[in-house]
Amino acid sequence: MSVYNDYFGPFGGRYVPEILQPPLKELELAFQEALGDPEFIGEFEEFCRDFIGRPTPLLPAKNASREIGGAQIYIKLEGLANTGAHKINNAAGQALLAKRMGKKRIIAETGAGQHGVATAAACARLNLPCVIYMGEEDIRRQHPNVYWMEMYGAEVRSVTSGSRTLKDAVNEAFRDWTANSADTHYLLGSALGPSPYPDMVREFQSVIGREIKDQADFQIDAMVACVGGGSNAIGFLAPFLDQKSIKMYGVEAGGRGKGPGNNAVRMADTGRPGIIQGYKSLFLHDSDGQVLDTHSISAGLDYPGIGPQLAALGKEGRIEFTEASDREALEALKFFARTEGVIFAMESAHAGAAAIRIAKTMSPDQNLIINMSGRGDKDIFISAAALDGENWRDFLEKESRRKYVD
Amino acid sequence: MSTEIVSHFIAGYPDMESSLETARGLAEGGASYLEMQIPFSDPSADGPVIENACRLSLERGCTVDKSLELMEKIHGELNIPVFLMSYGNILFARGMKSMVQQAKDAGASGLIIPDLVYGRDEGLYALGKELDVPVLPVITPTIPAERLDEIIGLEPEWIYTALRSGITGSLTTLDESNLGLLDRLKPLKTKVMAGFGIQKAEQVRVLAPHCDAVVVGSAIVRAVTEAYNQGDRARNAARLIIEDLLK
Repeated sequence: MSVYNDYFGPFGGRYVPEILQPPLKELELAFQEALGDPEFIGEFEEFCRDFIGRPTPLLPAKNASREIGGAQIYIKLEGLANTGAHKINNAAGQALLAKRMGKKRIIAETGAGQHGVATAAACARLNLPCVIYMGEEDIRRQHPNVYWMEMYGAEVRSVTSGSRTLKDAVNEAFRDWTANSADTHYLLGSALGPSPYPDMVREFQSVIGREIKDQADFQIDAMVACVGGGSNAIGFLAPFLDQKSIKMYGVEAGGRGKGPGNNAVRMADTGRPGIIQGYKSLFLHDSDGQVLDTHSISAGLDYPGIGPQLAALGKEGRIEFTEASDREALEALKFFARTEGVIFAMESAHAGAAAIRIAKTMSPDQNLIINMSGRGDKDIFISAAALDGENWRDFLEKESRRKYVD
Repeated sequence: MSTEIVSHFIAGYPDMESSLETARGLAEGGASYLEMQIPFSDPSADGPVIENACRLSLERGCTVDKSLELMEKIHGELNIPVFLMSYGNILFARGMKSMVQQAKDAGASGLIIPDLVYGRDEGLYALGKELDVPVLPVITPTIPAERLDEIIGLEPEWIYTALRSGITGSLTTLDESNLGLLDRLKPLKTKVMAGFGIQKAEQVRVLAPHCDAVVVGSAIVRAVTEAYNQGDRARNAARLIIEDLLK
C-alpha cells in the first residue's frame, strides 16, 4: 500500500471549499516527505519510546482463553500508552510534523476528550500552543478530561452549535483552520476527513500493527478492533492487510439496539454513501443527506461516519464488520477485569465483546488478537454508574458535600 | 450603474411560510438576486448565525423537496433570479443528476456548492453544462494564481468571491488584499458576486464598483431572526435591511 492514496476504492477524497485546498495540499506533501526522511522517523520513534512508553505489551490472555474455551486470545495493550489510549501515537506524529512544517499553533477537535488529552500532552511536550474544540454537551459529560487538557496548558473552547458534540467540534475546528491555516496545524484525531488525513493517521497509528509483527511469535488467525472513526483499527490492521489467512473484524457500536438514533452502526445496511466533513464514505444520514443522531455508551464510537479506507475494506470483504451492544460491552469489561486484571476502555470493550463470541467459534490451536485501544480509567463515571449505580451515587453525593475550597 | 445585491436566505427559516415572506421582502427592498440556501445538518462553510438558522429550519420540518417547492413558488411569483446554495451531500445523497435537474426545474439561476470544488465535484460542473445550469465556483483572495487561472478558464457565467479567509458572518475589512482579486476579475466576461461579512451600506458602496453584485447573508438572517423573535413580520425586516444597505 502506498503512503498516500487519497481514494480507497470509491471512498476518500478531499471535499472541502477552495480555501482549504492549498493547506491540505501543503500537508499532503509535507507528510509524504517527512515519512521518507529517516531523521523524522527517528524523532517519532524516540517520542514513542521515551514519552509514550512503546512498545506496548502483547498480553497472552490465558485465563480468558481457558474460560471461553476457543481460540488463544492475546490483547494488545494500547491502553498502556501514556495518556491512556492509542490516540497519542497520531497526536505525537502530527505534532512533530507540524513543528517540522514551521506551524506555530495546533488546533484539534475532541469528543470524549481522549484525542484532546493526547494532543494537549504532545503539545505540552513539544512546547506548541494548542486549542481544543469540544462540544458543550461533551464538556458537560467529560469534565475530568477538560481538567487534564487545561492542566497540560491547552485552551478548551466550548462549541455551542449543532448537536454540541464531536461532529460539531470537527466543524468548528475546520472553521478555525479556514481562517488561520498559514500558521496553524489542524491535528485531526481519526483516520477520516479530507485527504491526506486518512492516510496520515493510518501511517502514524500503524506503529501498533508493526509492533505486533515483532511480538507475535505465533500464527495469527484473527484480529479484532472496535471502529468509531477507525484510527485504532486501521493502525492495528494495516500492516497485516496482505496476509489473507488472517480474518479481520471491525466492531461497531450496537448501542441500545436497532433503529436510527439508537446505535452507530454504519457498515450493516444502515450506512449509505455520503460526502460529509470533507470525505466520501458510508454515513448515517437520511435520504435528503441530513446527518442522523447516533448513540453509544462509548463516546469514542458515537459518530455517524467511518474512515474511508475501513469502509472500502468492509465493502471488499477484507474486513468483516460486526457489532456489540452497550450491554455486551459492559459484560466484556467485567469479564476481562476479572479474568486478566485488565480494564478495557468502553470503546475497546466492544472489541472484547465481539472477540469473546468469535473466539468461541475457533479451535484452541488458533490465535486471536484484540486491540485494547484504551484503558478504562476514564470511563469510571459511566461504567460505575451503569454497573454499580447506587453505591456510585452515594459516593458522588458524599463527595459533592465535601468542602473543596477555603 | 445601480448597485446590485444578492440577498441570501434559508429555506424553511424561521419557518416555511416566513422564508417565503423573507424572499418577498428582499425583492421588495430592491435586491437584484436571491440566494436560497437549502439547509444541511453540517454546514461547515457557514458561521454560527447561519448554522443555527439551518438547524432550526430542519427541526421545524424543512426538507429538500419543500425547499425546491419554495424555490419554484418564488421563481414563479417574483421576477428575480434565484441561486441555489447548499452542500455537496444534499446533491450527492439525492443523486447528482436528478438534483441538478430538479434545481433547474424549480427555476434556479445557478448552483453554489462550496464543498464541491472543480476537479473534486462529483460531476457537478459537467452536469451544469449538460443541463444548462450555471455552477458558481466559490473562491477566496488566498487562491493560488494557477488555480485561479484554471477556474477562469472554465469561463463560468458567475464567480462567487468570498472576501474573507474565514467563514460567513463576521465583518469583512475591504482593502487591497481582497479588492485586488476583484479588480483582477473585473475585465473578464465572467460576472462576479462578492460577499462574506457585508453588514453596512458603507461596505456595499465601497465594494459595488469592484464587482457585479454584492452578496449579503448573515446580516439578513440576523435581521429576520430579530423580527421573528419579537413577533414582527420577516417580510418587513427583510425589506428594510435591503433598503438600508442600498442607501
